[in-house]
Amino acid sequence: MDAVAVENLTKVYPTRKGPVQALSGVSFRVAAGEIVGLLGANGAGKTTIIKIVCGLVRATSGRAEIFGVPSHRAEVARHVAALLEGSRNVYWRLSVEENLRFFAGLQGIPPRQAKKQAQELIQFFGLGEKRKVTANLLSQGMKQKLALACALIKGTPVLLLDEPTLGLDVEASHELRGFIRELASARRKTVLLSSHDMGVVEDTCARVIILSRGRVVADDRVPNLLALFRTRAYRVILRDGLPEGIATQLAARFSTFRWLSQERALHVELSPSQSFYELVDALRGANVEIEAVGRSEPDLEEVFLRLIREEKGT
Amino acid sequence: MRRFHAFWAIFTRFLIEIKRYPFNTLSGIVTLYLIFLLLFAGAKYAQGFGVNVFGEGLEALVVGFLVWTFALTAYSDLSWEIMREAQQGTLEQLYMCPFGFRFVSLAWVLSSFLVSLLFTGALLGLMMITTGKFLRLPLGTLIPLLFLTLAPIYGVGFLMAGLALVFKRIQAFFQILQFVFVPLLFLPAEEWWAKALPLSLGSRLIREVMTEGKSLPALPALDLLMLLGTASFYFGLGLCAFKACEKVAKDRGLLAHY
Repeated sequence: MDAVAVENLTKVYPTRKGPVQALSGVSFRVAAGEIVGLLGANGAGKTTIIKIVCGLVRATSGRAEIFGVPSHRAEVARHVAALLEGSRNVYWRLSVEENLRFFAGLQGIPPRQAKKQAQELIQFFGLGEKRKVTANLLSQGMKQKLALACALIKGTPVLLLDEPTLGLDVEASHELRGFIRELASARRKTVLLSSHDMGVVEDTCARVIILSRGRVVADDRVPNLLALFRTRAYRVILRDGLPEGIATQLAARFSTFRWLSQERALHVELSPSQSFYELVDALRGANVEIEAVGRSEPDLEEVFLRLIREEKGT
Repeated sequence: MRRFHAFWAIFTRFLIEIKRYPFNTLSGIVTLYLIFLLLFAGAKYAQGFGVNVFGEGLEALVVGFLVWTFALTAYSDLSWEIMREAQQGTLEQLYMCPFGFRFVSLAWVLSSFLVSLLFTGALLGLMMITTGKFLRLPLGTLIPLLFLTLAPIYGVGFLMAGLALVFKRIQAFFQILQFVFVPLLFLPAEEWWAKALPLSLGSRLIREVMTEGKSLPALPALDLLMLLGTASFYFGLGLCAFKACEKVAKDRGLLAHY
């Protein structure tokens, strides 16, 4: 059985200025133990999907289920916990330990067990010294860790993380990514993570669903998405620049040739019939010395931008 | 049992927050006591001119004020709490309780009632010392009567909480409503129409218990039935209104907004 099943989900928000279409026929499934990223610009529908899946927003049509339980039923909370809007999910006047024990209790976990689990999570997230400190006195990174721990203490198999690294500095974000990766590997959690930060998604998710204007534009494993836009593009840095005559010759021979004079680099995308050695031979023939050669690989950001542009027809 | 653990977690948090804001808790009691002193001084002054302001003397004043204090807490606690939770961003987490948000709010209401018993008990002690009128406190009769009397107010509390979910800022309406409770306490509770309204019959029965020492079986059965009926009706109405507002909030995605 799928951990998360979303089928033909549509959401229209009624507003004073008229209806706003947030989702249009979104469908996807997440298998148990998978970490899947929802990637999209602001307003793409990521948060709406997450909130429908955990039962906080009603879908206009379609269905969302967690392990077969419809998301609008309260029992769905036995299977899913969510970190929404980052650190705003904890009680600022309660200490780290009090927060954890409260959320465990809310799930129906007996106090003794809640205390034990709280201790474990405090250790896991390195919050030992801050155990008795109220949440309002913690740094942003620690608040975020606490919010994640509060979601984890519920012991649900599925975790929904909406912008988990929002507002964190590089170091804290890196640390939190590590924790998220560990959730799937060591704790066997299913994670659906939404973010507009490519780094977070690329670093933590094996599969990515790209959204644009409430629609799924792509849904695939990260290497497959990267392969979609992989080209035979090379960047060659020359020691002493490129004489103008040679540049003209190369441009005539390689249609994608670009000379970036400030960087002393040339950029070329080879066609399937062309070989990289043709380019090297041409440069050597003109007595141009090569300093370095690199292959340009598309990253997730580039894939995302190209898919979105294609979808928008720009 | 899992539900009890959830209730216990909510009750414990309620107590922790009271402990963490001692000034707020104490100032609440002191303010109510000062209001009572003003009323008491006014009533004494009026009685000097032969005017019996509260109809049935000081006992009526003490009991009426006591029920009003309870009513204020009963209807404000839940809606304030919902506004606060929405503001700090924890409301959605409460909605993700596996027993449902209605369970969470009922647990909150029960916690608030239990804590109110304690604080209002202290206030009652102060009032009795001030007036020199020592009322009877048969808790076995008083607590169920008090709960039935306040049930319609909890219903209003649920209605207000529902409105807070949708409209967020309802403080103005909220403050006006608390003064509507005052005349309800002093309506002629022997009239059928007054019995059908919240607070009126219940406060009269509480007065009878506290001044005449009547026990539950000694109270008119028809009145008790009427009290049970109004309690269920207004409480149910409040819950239905809350459910309707909750549906609107979930449709519009308003649970996290403030």
